[in-house]
Amino acid sequence: MTSQKPSRLSYLTSGIIKENPVLILMIGLCPTLATTTSARDALGMSAAASFVLIFSNVVVSLVRKFVQPSIRIPIFIIIISTFVTIIDYVLQAYQPSLYRVLGVFVPLIVVNCIILGRAEAFAYSHGVFDSFLDGLGNALGFTLALVILGSLREFFAVGTVFGKTLTPNWYRSAPMLFMIFPPGAFFLIGILKALAVKLKLGK
Amino acid sequence: MVVSLLITCLVAAFALSEVYAVTKPKIDQQKIDATTSALIQVLPAAQTFKEVEKDSLWYGLDAAGAKVGIVVRSGARGYGGPVPLLVALDLTGRISGVKVEDLKETPGLGLKATEDWFAKQFIGLDSTVALKKEGGTIDAISGATITSRAAARGVAQSIRKYSEHLKP
Repeated sequence: MTSQKPSRLSYLTSGIIKENPVLILMIGLCPTLATTTSARDALGMSAAASFVLIFSNVVVSLVRKFVQPSIRIPIFIIIISTFVTIIDYVLQAYQPSLYRVLGVFVPLIVVNCIILGRAEAFAYSHGVFDSFLDGLGNALGFTLALVILGSLREFFAVGTVFGKTLTPNWYRSAPMLFMIFPPGAFFLIGILKALAVKLKLGK
Repeated sequence: MVVSLLITCLVAAFALSEVYAVTKPKIDQQKIDATTSALIQVLPAAQTFKEVEKDSLWYGLDAAGAKVGIVVRSGARGYGGPVPLLVALDLTGRISGVKVEDLKETPGLGLKATEDWFAKQFIGLDSTVALKKEGGTIDAISGATITSRAAARGVAQSIRKYSEHLKP
């Protein structure tokens, strides 16, 4: 955050590129690398995490006056895990196929450092609406990074994006399979990180 | 301090119990639906299914309630954990359908076991189920011998179950 008072709009936009949690701050990498084997799974993961991030930011900001600093972390964790459990039930009930793919990474949203980080660094010291904007901005930044990474990995490894075939047959018969494995994720996130930094410096 | 923690926990517990109450029937229904649709896929001749061993063995019944076959779930060890299979056998002991369920094998290699051509190879067999290189008739997936062998073993186990349950 800059020294002069930042505008409302910047709360929303800073999370998208300038302080993108994944590509600039390099936090929340575990779900980023693990759940981006296809564009659809990446979108599902980011939707679940975004829900938790936005609501936990709003609730933390709402209760911040009643929470003594010494017990703020346990309270944050309770709030975050409540929303995670809600999304866990909802996915199981209405999106079972997505739930099967995301598996253990849904409960692990509890310890996603982006969410606890925004609660601690922003929502605990800002108003409800500003916290909502900050949560939304960071959620968009997280989603952007995951969907790009998921689309690229699916494109290179399978030849499709969101299940749509985008490459000729000769490519799909011998695709770059390694992109779907962990090394492919590291490889691509390095390139994305470089692009994001270039974009940030160019501004 | 204690009070604010207590209140937070109470509110959280209340909210969760409400959500749980709403979603529980849906979740149970999803599980039942998923199982039934998988069972129908492997044994289309059956109208209803009777669970004989919990989550692992079903009798398929026709409209009149007579047995038309059994479905066995097995899980021989693959490369990244068990390879869960549903195998349906008709009354004569021939395989009528095989479905590979939630598979956690390597994408692009072992995960190809979920493709149709692989499961279709088992249909119609009734005794020797093994990979070609082990004297059977099943083509292994290239690069995924361990997964293929696990699938073949799972099917063979199911055939043994058949002889315990349906063999005349």
